[in-house]
Amino acid sequence: MTPQTEKRTLRRAYYQRFTAAQRFEHLVLLLSFTVLALTGLPQKYADQAWAQSLIAALGGIESVRIVHRVMAVLLMAEAIYHGGVLSYKLYVLGVRPIMLPTLRDARDVWDWARYNVGLRREHPRLPRYNFGEKVEYLAVVWGTIIMVITGFMLWNPIAATKLLPGAWIPAARAAHGAEALLAVLSILIWHSYNVHIKRLNKSMFLGTLSAEEMREEHAEELERIERGEAEPTPPPHVVAQRKRVFWPYAVLMSALLVSALVWFVTFEESAITTVPRLAVRETTLSVDAEAVGVAAEGEALWSRLPCSGCHGERAQGREGLNVPLAGLELDFADFVAQVRRGPADMPAFPPEQLSDTELAHLWTWLRSLPAP
Amino acid sequence: MSKRVSFGLILGGALVLGALALGAPLFAQGPGPTPIPSGEDSYCLLCHAQPEPPTLALADGSTLELRVDPATLAASVHGDPEDAPPLGCVDCHDQQAYPHQGALPADARAYRVAASARCVRCHEEQATGLADGVHYEALARGNWRAATCVDCHGAHDVQPPAEPRTRIAETCGNCHRAVFEQFRQSVHGVALFEEDDPNVPTCVDCHGVHGIAHPTTAQFRNRSPELCATCHADAELMAEYGISTNVFESYLTDFHGKTVALFEQQAEDVATNKAVCFDCHGVHDIAPVDAENSHVVRENLLATCRQCHPDATANFPDAWVGHYEPTPESQPLLFAVNTFYAILIPTVLGGFAVLIATDIFRRIRERVRKPRGEG
Repeated sequence: MTPQTEKRTLRRAYYQRFTAAQRFEHLVLLLSFTVLALTGLPQKYADQAWAQSLIAALGGIESVRIVHRVMAVLLMAEAIYHGGVLSYKLYVLGVRPIMLPTLRDARDVWDWARYNVGLRREHPRLPRYNFGEKVEYLAVVWGTIIMVITGFMLWNPIAATKLLPGAWIPAARAAHGAEALLAVLSILIWHSYNVHIKRLNKSMFLGTLSAEEMREEHAEELERIERGEAEPTPPPHVVAQRKRVFWPYAVLMSALLVSALVWFVTFEESAITTVPRLAVRETTLSVDAEAVGVAAEGEALWSRLPCSGCHGERAQGREGLNVPLAGLELDFADFVAQVRRGPADMPAFPPEQLSDTELAHLWTWLRSLPAP
Repeated sequence: MSKRVSFGLILGGALVLGALALGAPLFAQGPGPTPIPSGEDSYCLLCHAQPEPPTLALADGSTLELRVDPATLAASVHGDPEDAPPLGCVDCHDQQAYPHQGALPADARAYRVAASARCVRCHEEQATGLADGVHYEALARGNWRAATCVDCHGAHDVQPPAEPRTRIAETCGNCHRAVFEQFRQSVHGVALFEEDDPNVPTCVDCHGVHGIAHPTTAQFRNRSPELCATCHADAELMAEYGISTNVFESYLTDFHGKTVALFEQQAEDVATNKAVCFDCHGVHDIAPVDAENSHVVRENLLATCRQCHPDATANFPDAWVGHYEPTPESQPLLFAVNTFYAILIPTVLGGFAVLIATDIFRRIRERVRKPRGEG
């Protein structure tokens, strides 16, 4: 066979590489990772013009943060699903953990680099998942773990500091940003070069790889397939037995992890809910003013308190700035809320200074006065 | 219609209303008015400087004092011949003849508000500013207590408004008493009143002079860090006080500051709940950061955080790195993380780059060596 005809044959042959489910996982990862990067990095570099334009284009910083969180949930859901699939393959199907790095991978890198620079004659014969792919896979695992842990602390800083020292939050923020930068640059450099620039590798979308590509990147796997060797699978009765153990475990773990995810997202309100500024605080009244208030007590209090300075001797108002209170129409709850808050120029009076009972007396007296 | 014109209309309206209230044109109904000679203040003072001056009873039962002390006018900015030709009575007052013509104001306040319209004749720029401000807005809404020219500057006794600088705060304090008391006790107020510090802000440095913006708007809030930064990011000015100018930069790199800066840039009129300077340091009651009553001194910090994060616990305030550059001693964990990634990122990316370079090298070499016609 001439080299030309051999090449043609190799181009025609295609080998299954990824199942539809695996390709779908990759799409979910592609979507969540890209959007997380596009909404996360501008937050890290918010002082840069490009980041500001991107944030504006995405509808402002609050929208960016919401989208970032939605995508974080998607990524975490994918991680839970992947964990389930992985457990099934390793335990039920007895698949070897071939994504784990081995010494052989280190040797492959070394041989490959030497081959590239001409110090070795042969391209190393690489296995089903070569060193480059393992690095990417493990980086995704490591990165996701780091991002989930630090992301939790940033999403729930109040809850996190109930257990951890406060200084962990800025550290988590630094790690979240640095890890993101590392992940994005790794994708742009290593991933892009290997599957887009060097050669457009469509196997993650179409599922198959040509024999030519297989020969260069997975020679050992190609030979194994051509020898007709299949991955050893356990006998059906063993699989059935393992499934009986696996499914209850899988259902339990999924329930636990999904609950953890819901907990993650809904755990804390106070860090993200708007606390309205100068809002009238929820006032729980300790007294029934109608029953407790005595006008004469209120009048006596009025002469002792500084109120008359602005509101007048008999609450009729004053020359200059004044708010007459005589003939008050506010209901008691609103009256208390105003006094506790201190509207405009008025100082606020906390319960330590003026009790609800005293306010009830004042309220009763003020209402009894004729409006000026 | 420009704001300034409407300003004049409102003030003029006060006089018309006054006339309607009285239901009659006024003052004296004698044989006919005698014109007052211009610059002849002595003519006016015949009546208005008497020890027992005439008073004018107004429709609402109040009286208008009509006495003028010529010495007061002479000692005012309008009596100082060095600045401009001194003003005489009829330069401001519309009574150009005796007996006086025109309508009586409804009450003393209406007269005072209307009197401010006269200032506009010379002080157009200030009046235009006022027309954009909160006081005029309140006046236009019908709040006759809102400050107009003479409320702050005086009538016959107009003095330079910022001499001494404490006069500014005292002027505002005439109405804004509670705020004034807070400010007077604050770090800025103490420096102003007790140390005669020429740099500390008075009311107008933050709020503006005539065109005072509403300080509770989203825009004011979003812009407020820049306002504090005008002084606090000025290295030369802060050097005198030993205050770090890193405060503004460090705020902008923090979660709160980043968010507020983006709102300021992209959605100025939308309120954000992220903290600005005055949420933590206080508004008028700003204390030195190490003072016992400071909102941000260690002992009070948790209470300050809880204003927005009500569930915060004792560890939470440490999540704020502070306004100073973190050091290995102050933030060991943060430093460790930064160091870790400062090593990891170049190592990983450098490794990738070297490996990719060898691959590119081989591909180029293969292409060069490959005989033509093949492939």
